[in-house]
Amino acid sequence: MIRVLIVCSWGMSTSLLVESMLAAAVARKYELAVEALSAGEYAAKVEECDVVLIAPQIRHLRKSIEKLALSVGKPVAMIEPFHYATMNGQAVFEQVLHLLASKQEGKEEV
Amino acid sequence: MSVMIERGSDWVERYLVPPLGILASNVYLQAVRDAFIIFTLPLILAGSLFLIIANPPVQALANLIAPYQSQILVPFQLSFGLMALFLAFGVAYSLAQYRRTEPVQPGVLAMVLFLVASMPVRDLTTLSLGDILPYLGGEGLLVGILVGILTTEVVRRFRGSRFTIRLPKSVPPNVTRAFEALVPAVLLLTFIWVLEWFVSSHTFVGTDGHLHQLTIPILLERIFQPLILVQDSYPAALIEIVLMMLLWSVGIHGMNVVTAIALPFWLATLTNNAVNHGHGIVTEPFFHIFAHLGGSGATWPLVVYMLRSRSAQLRTVGKVALGPAIFNINEPVTFGVPMALNPIMMIPFVFVPVIIVTINYFVFAVGLVHVPVVLQPFTVPIGLSGFVATGGDIRGSLLQFFDLAVSALLYYPFFKAWERVLVAREEAASQPEESAKPAPVGVG
Repeated sequence: MIRVLIVCSWGMSTSLLVESMLAAAVARKYELAVEALSAGEYAAKVEECDVVLIAPQIRHLRKSIEKLALSVGKPVAMIEPFHYATMNGQAVFEQVLHLLASKQEGKEEV
Repeated sequence: MSVMIERGSDWVERYLVPPLGILASNVYLQAVRDAFIIFTLPLILAGSLFLIIANPPVQALANLIAPYQSQILVPFQLSFGLMALFLAFGVAYSLAQYRRTEPVQPGVLAMVLFLVASMPVRDLTTLSLGDILPYLGGEGLLVGILVGILTTEVVRRFRGSRFTIRLPKSVPPNVTRAFEALVPAVLLLTFIWVLEWFVSSHTFVGTDGHLHQLTIPILLERIFQPLILVQDSYPAALIEIVLMMLLWSVGIHGMNVVTAIALPFWLATLTNNAVNHGHGIVTEPFFHIFAHLGGSGATWPLVVYMLRSRSAQLRTVGKVALGPAIFNINEPVTFGVPMALNPIMMIPFVFVPVIIVTINYFVFAVGLVHVPVVLQPFTVPIGLSGFVATGGDIRGSLLQFFDLAVSALLYYPFFKAWERVLVAREEAASQPEESAKPAPVGVG
């Protein structure tokens, strides 16, 4: 089970992306759980996930979100604005897999 | 052309993004905004339903309901009417989340402190509820916010510090937590109570000509009354819409940021419209329902243009954007066209809403359309939302459609200019033989 947190604003538009990501995961036979939440809720829940994604409309919070994620060892990245705009769940799910894979590699090197 | 666009967006990224970003990432503003969305808005919306029932738009119905109007308003008064109380909880709770500390305890404490701050220090059994009620709702929002922030900031400093009551490790954690909360709770209670006692030892002459005891919310209201009046003006509306759209132009959620600052004023004005038949204009619906048609920036017409565009990128975005646009969600437009950080589209993205706000302000000011009285989710589709927001004035819907036509007209030349840029890029990309041109680079 891969647990993803998407940090965003009202969660209204992100819910559309979440639907599309879940469909992409099912097609590739992965178990996926995605939650869209505000920066405050994210701070309370960061321990309970595998990957953190940042929606483009709150990129001004990027630094503080990244700092917190890295402090508890969670991979974190921005969602490409165009992927977000076109609700391209497949591309964002690829990004999640890529983040997890590079985290694994990092561990092996250490 | 392409080079100029890139230079423009470089400039925006370097000089416009950092100051706007600092404003938007203030943790108190974020906590207030979260508190409003998560804790207050659902109660306001539910309560508004009863307000609509108590004030039906049709005269015959109004006559029928008149004998029961006070009774129908009870659920409204105890939900919408207590919003500052819930906001105090929400602000303390959300701020505690940002500070990564347990949120429920400061939340509940903030509600108690808010009540202490709102009641004059005297024999409470002889207090009339009607005197206090307004200050637990629209007129007490500022107190709610301040008490919420104060509570969490004090409680979190006591947690884990040496000034808390320590118990042996064998005591269950829940018991320990209760004792940990005791010291800051007693301190804060004493502080607010003494402050309120001092304030309520003074009196003022009310609108009824009688002497009343002063309270903290009444004092703050008297201090900030000029600000509420100033906020409900055309220059203030102009500043707010420009700030919203400048933030969105650099890809930051503008409505969010401005809401966190202006909301107490918008709600105070709206409550006055709803309860006292006031004529305030600059309220939450003034922006969400009457300016941001199809999403921030009034981008509904762009979606229609995109569906038949010559550019493949715009057609793709248009298809995705159509469904959300019906519910006034336009992130696909903002990040897909894109509007954000795009020097061509940023121009109308700011000035189209400015013109719409100008038109609407004067339409409301001269009384062509009833002023907004009802709050609703911003996702209610255009047409219906204008009717509901004005308490059942069909001219509210007509105004929305008029504004849509204005938006369609003003966006068109900019849309065509941007479409030409994209079509040229797409043609260059599909003919790799003529690779003298640089590869197409997206803006943003």
